[in-house]
Amino acid sequence: MSTIDNMTSTRARTGVGTARLAGAGLLILLGGFALLGPLVISSDPSAQDLGASLAPIGGDYLLGADHYGRSLLARLAHGARLSFGMAFLTMLAAAVPGILLGLAAAWKGGWAERMLEFVATVVLALPGLMLVLLLLAFSPGDYGPLFLGLSLTLWVEFYRLTKATTRTVLAQPHIEAARMLGFGSRYILVHYVLPVIGPMIATLSAFAMATAIIAVSTLSAISVGLQPPTPELGSMIVELLPYFAEAPVHVLLPAVLIFLLVLGLQLLAQGDRA
Amino acid sequence: MKNFLVARLLQAGIVSVAVGALCFILMRVLPGDAAMRIAAGRYGPDARIADAAEKVRLELGLDRPIAMQFLEWLGSLARFDLGHSLVTGRAVAHELQVQLGASVWLAAAALVLSLLIGPIVGLFGGLKPGGAADRLGLMGAVIFRAIPPFVLGLILMLVFSRQLGWLPPAGFGSPREILLPALTLALGLAAMSSRVTRNAVAAVAQAPYFAFARYKGLSEPIVVRRHGLRNAAIPVVSYLGLQAIYLIEGVVVVESLFAYPGIGHALVHAIVERDIPMVQGTALMMGLMFVAIGAAVDLLTLWLDPRTGKTV
Amino acid sequence: MNIPINTDLSVSDLSVHSQSGPIVSGVSLAVGRGRPLTLLGESGSGKSLVAQAIMGNLPNELRATGHILFKGAEILRETPSERRRRWGRSISLLPQEPWLALDPTMRVAPQVAEVHRYVKAKSVEDSAVAARSNLSDVSLQQAAELYPFQMSGGMGQRAAIAIAHAADAELLIADEPTKGLDAALRRSVTARLLSEVEAGRLLLTITHDVAVARALGGTIGVMLDGRLVEYGEARKLLEAPEHSYTKALLAAEPARWEPRKQKNAGEMVVAGRGLEKRYGDKALFSGLDIEVAAGEIVSIFGPSGCGKTTIGNILLGLAKSDEGMVERKPDLSPLRFQKLYQDPPAAFAPHQTIRKGLKDLVRLHGKDWADVEALAGRLRLSDILLDRLPGQISGGELQRFALLRALLLAPVFLFADEATSRLDPVSQKEVVTFLREIVEETGLAVLLVTHDRDVAEKISTRMIDLGGSRLRDR
Repeated sequence: MSTIDNMTSTRARTGVGTARLAGAGLLILLGGFALLGPLVISSDPSAQDLGASLAPIGGDYLLGADHYGRSLLARLAHGARLSFGMAFLTMLAAAVPGILLGLAAAWKGGWAERMLEFVATVVLALPGLMLVLLLLAFSPGDYGPLFLGLSLTLWVEFYRLTKATTRTVLAQPHIEAARMLGFGSRYILVHYVLPVIGPMIATLSAFAMATAIIAVSTLSAISVGLQPPTPELGSMIVELLPYFAEAPVHVLLPAVLIFLLVLGLQLLAQGDRA
Repeated sequence: MKNFLVARLLQAGIVSVAVGALCFILMRVLPGDAAMRIAAGRYGPDARIADAAEKVRLELGLDRPIAMQFLEWLGSLARFDLGHSLVTGRAVAHELQVQLGASVWLAAAALVLSLLIGPIVGLFGGLKPGGAADRLGLMGAVIFRAIPPFVLGLILMLVFSRQLGWLPPAGFGSPREILLPALTLALGLAAMSSRVTRNAVAAVAQAPYFAFARYKGLSEPIVVRRHGLRNAAIPVVSYLGLQAIYLIEGVVVVESLFAYPGIGHALVHAIVERDIPMVQGTALMMGLMFVAIGAAVDLLTLWLDPRTGKTV
Repeated sequence: MNIPINTDLSVSDLSVHSQSGPIVSGVSLAVGRGRPLTLLGESGSGKSLVAQAIMGNLPNELRATGHILFKGAEILRETPSERRRRWGRSISLLPQEPWLALDPTMRVAPQVAEVHRYVKAKSVEDSAVAARSNLSDVSLQQAAELYPFQMSGGMGQRAAIAIAHAADAELLIADEPTKGLDAALRRSVTARLLSEVEAGRLLLTITHDVAVARALGGTIGVMLDGRLVEYGEARKLLEAPEHSYTKALLAAEPARWEPRKQKNAGEMVVAGRGLEKRYGDKALFSGLDIEVAAGEIVSIFGPSGCGKTTIGNILLGLAKSDEGMVERKPDLSPLRFQKLYQDPPAAFAPHQTIRKGLKDLVRLHGKDWADVEALAGRLRLSDILLDRLPGQISGGELQRFALLRALLLAPVFLFADEATSRLDPVSQKEVVTFLREIVEETGLAVLLVTHDRDVAEKISTRMIDLGGSRLRDR
């Protein structure tokens, strides 16, 4: 009575594609805004014009101005670029060593692997944000410890995923068969291991970027991360918060931008399989 | 069973050494006189600070190898001698007592609230995968997962205290004040646990043992009670271990946002003020809370799932 | 098809329809006391759907028509809840792979007791006592406090029978009762099913295994593509099958294969001397001598877990022996020692088309694609299969591709590790026939590992029995 059970359980899987597509589309729009925005929009994100304090949306300033009269459009574009850029660099700094070490550990094992496992255990003993906070204590408001702390916590996931998946692949009979047929390690890596770990790493990369975006904006919002006047989305929200009664939409704009960035990445990463 | 405890004890050890080491380095690399800071940290700033600093300088002075100084640092940590705050001058341990209580209340309230929301939403989704409840739950989960806790907290604060005026925006003391920060965390937690529950319920409903329980002649409520609940609860509970990360990080963020006087709030303050004994004490407490949640989840899983801990 | 009138379960003109048309049509059969019925067929033949229609658990999107008479009631006219009320009362199911059908988080005894408690509404104490006695009926009294994951497959099977005893229903439906079990356990399972028949129960068994049908006797129905193509008394049907499918099915049984012609073996190709392998303190085997010569098929036969695969891996250099040594005919490239795997899909990279894999292999060793085409023709593998992924090809075809892949390298030794055990009987025979032909033509030396005594006896020149005798007595 198994065949029919399988038949009924293969549900239609439409929708996975659409969610992923929506995520990709959202990211292309936001990425364009982040990359091209700062070039196209001529106004300086830190140029103050106190006469235009809290200028309304749609007037002289397309998206209004903040309490110092700085163009919100310019600040949002720079903020998006900063978030994207930080997230992308952090992801790279975590992914490259994580994947290489994971491959090495799965391939060789032995002492090197045990050392790496220990380091990973140490890093995971504390929640990631705590480690970042402790490193930020060395110099609050700096990019350095923020970047270092985030990469340090995120590489472990790349390492673990790569190691576990590679090990599973290498243990399969088809790898043994390939070796007996005379194929070398390089062929096995390129044709058998990478196609399996590739999509998983892509998914994890998108998640890592989402995590980094949330962390960067959160830390600025609780005033231990990047400091004003840097056009950072989290600190923009907090800066504008006291003027919520006068200009509620101004406060929500950077919040919506963060939300869309994270949403885009999460949709791209896993589509409907939330 | 023993393995779990050993692993968690080891984790607690690693947390203490890592936090201790970072703070030890911090104490020495910050500009200014380390001996002065250490003296203030040990005896409080109101002590005759210059004399005390001299004593400290002699005690762990430059003539002794750094490794020895570090071991001594860890030794006082092991005796739970956390020193005094550089800002208030009060004993760190004393400050922590009050704050720990507040944070534990917040974390517990958030967890309970999230368990009231997440698994119930997930249950309805899992009973009929692809149905309206499932789609709605999925949409909610996707949206709430994409909102960082501090943004969610701000939105709740703006809606419930600014616009509606139902709840106080900040403070501590009554259940009304704990509700907003707890709800902020709970919504984020529920967004994740609802999907885990949904998948667990759907998996159990498809499982051969669930069908077999029906073929045995048991009625539907008995099938669900005896063979559904426990099996569906296992992944949900073990996922709580992963959620502990979100919970601890969220406590730090949400406490700062709502000016809630817990350990997370104190940690952020201590970092801004470079109050190293307080940084060490609060980070240690948060880290140990994380370990404690992990241990509790381990024990719960052990009780729920006979396959863990016992071997053939 | 003559159906006795005096029966307790009779099915006439049963059809099962899906939205795209009928998937079972015109099935008529009967089960009587002392006269078990076995439905024999491959997966997808519709035999499970017939059982589901009787049980009343067809998936919602399927619709059954015809008549099913059980104890004077017309089952197909009943509402779903009326049908469900029969479960555990007048019909009980012996699920396939019962170790998966037991609740993994509950001890065995309460899983039996709950039938008494909630279906028969006995008290808690009485239920526990009754469950103990059900368990000791199947000699599981020692296992009452175990969880399913602590039990072997055979124990799981007996636990399921104990649950059926607790229900004490007239009709027992056994779904693939030997699936996933070792050959040695199969006999004990069929023996237990026969004792159910002796106890007066009606038995309907679904299986793909001719040996099970033969052991159970009674009536056999052979199903193919949703139709009952042959139906009749077991002995008669097995001795003189009428339908061509039944004939092919029976001819594919290893016991009926033509025995191998004796032929003088050639030179030794590979040998192990004084091999020993230990797991912890326990020696799997020790002082084992084995020699395989050109043009011969040597079989290692034994139950699972006896270390038979390890011997082959040691000869290939894939595993190390704790004692002893391996000797190979000198001056041969290691590429000429090849292996066939038990699970054909696992021996191919899942995301690589067959063509790409073979092309890379041809390029790596400077061969000619014409060799591939020649071998494909020889092994009757059509060209269109080349562009499929391994998951889209049947196990028998895939195993022939594995053979093709190995033959490209002009092997002198081939280790076939249970290479046909997961194939259906007809494909199994096909692969074995090719293998035999190639051995005769090329003088290939083959080491065959199998748990099936008949396979080993029929095709090998020599047999090594690894601790099988102890288990066979059970």
